Amino acid sequence: MNSRNEENLKGLFEKFLDLKQAEHAVEDLREGQRILSEHPAPEPDGRLVADIKAEIEGALLRRKANVFRKIAYKAAVAAAAVIILAVIGVELYEKGDGKAKKVITASIIPKAIWESDDVSADDADLAILAAEIEQIEGEALAVQLGENGGNGNRNLLELELEMELIEISSDFWKG
Amino acid sequence: MAKSDNLARIIIGCKNGDAECFSQLVDIYAGRCYGYFYRLTGNKAVTDDLLSELFVKLVEKISSFKGGSFESWLFTVASNIFHDYLRGKQRERKLLEVRKRQLESEITETKHSDGGRTDKLQVQLDKLDADTRNLIMLRFYSQLSFKEMAKMRSEPIGTTLSKLHRGLKKLRELME
Repeated sequence: MNSRNEENLKGLFEKFLDLKQAEHAVEDLREGQRILSEHPAPEPDGRLVADIKAEIEGALLRRKANVFRKIAYKAAVAAAAVIILAVIGVELYEKGDGKAKKVITASIIPKAIWESDDVSADDADLAILAAEIEQIEGEALAVQLGENGGNGNRNLLELELEMELIEISSDFWKG
Repeated sequence: MAKSDNLARIIIGCKNGDAECFSQLVDIYAGRCYGYFYRLTGNKAVTDDLLSELFVKLVEKISSFKGGSFESWLFTVASNIFHDYLRGKQRERKLLEVRKRQLESEITETKHSDGGRTDKLQVQLDKLDADTRNLIMLRFYSQLSFKEMAKMRSEPIGTTLSKLHRGLKKLRELME
């Protein structure tokens, strides 16, 4: 019975006691163990062992049932989660009529300019516009300096200029 | 080596819930565990119950065995079961304070009813304190080394050596 107890007892005791004390300790230990060996405890009854084995089988069956129950619960929870997600998904799909919503954007740039493919015409318009603006600027400057013969009607000239500007602007944005 | 391989195979079988492997485990350890419990309680009926409890508990706990010395692990479980039994008995005693003497006499009668030499050893073992008795029985029935026992009891090896030496020396004196 004491096969694993064959460790170096003397060496162990010598770590804590002197040589002679260690020898006595080992002797005491062996003697104590001899007494125990000479007085064996009773063996378990065969019926007890059989009962224990039967109990173990019962416990194993219960354990298997518990494992199965746990798996079933987990599967039920997973299925419920999938069903809930599916229901929510269908509801969201139905609310949106199954179509993606159109994105609405706004622009301050006139549509006609973006849609025009005639680059040379657009350039010509811009050139005319630039020339007319230069001419108006010149006239405005002349009005300010009183270069219109010194007797021009200032209010009338300003009104004419404003009218001309509105006309140009309107023509430009019409394309 | 073949013995330890066989034990490893049995333990793997137990972890997989194989009833046959548990049956083999009972065959290997029932005798030693029975002796351990009997020497601590001195009562056959209680020993029967504790042994059953131990092996049924193994079914629940075997998955927590992560290798190392199986004997060390097994006797740690056995030792815990014995301590639970002691605590329960103490609680019972507190609750039934009035019947204390009566119960003790009953226990003593049952303890010493096995006759012969075993009886004498049991009487002398009862004179030792519970911890020393447990230590001696662990050493004898679990076949653990001092290093393993010290680790199991969470104490320095020198303490384990000294306690066991004193206990066995006293037992020897009592038996003479």
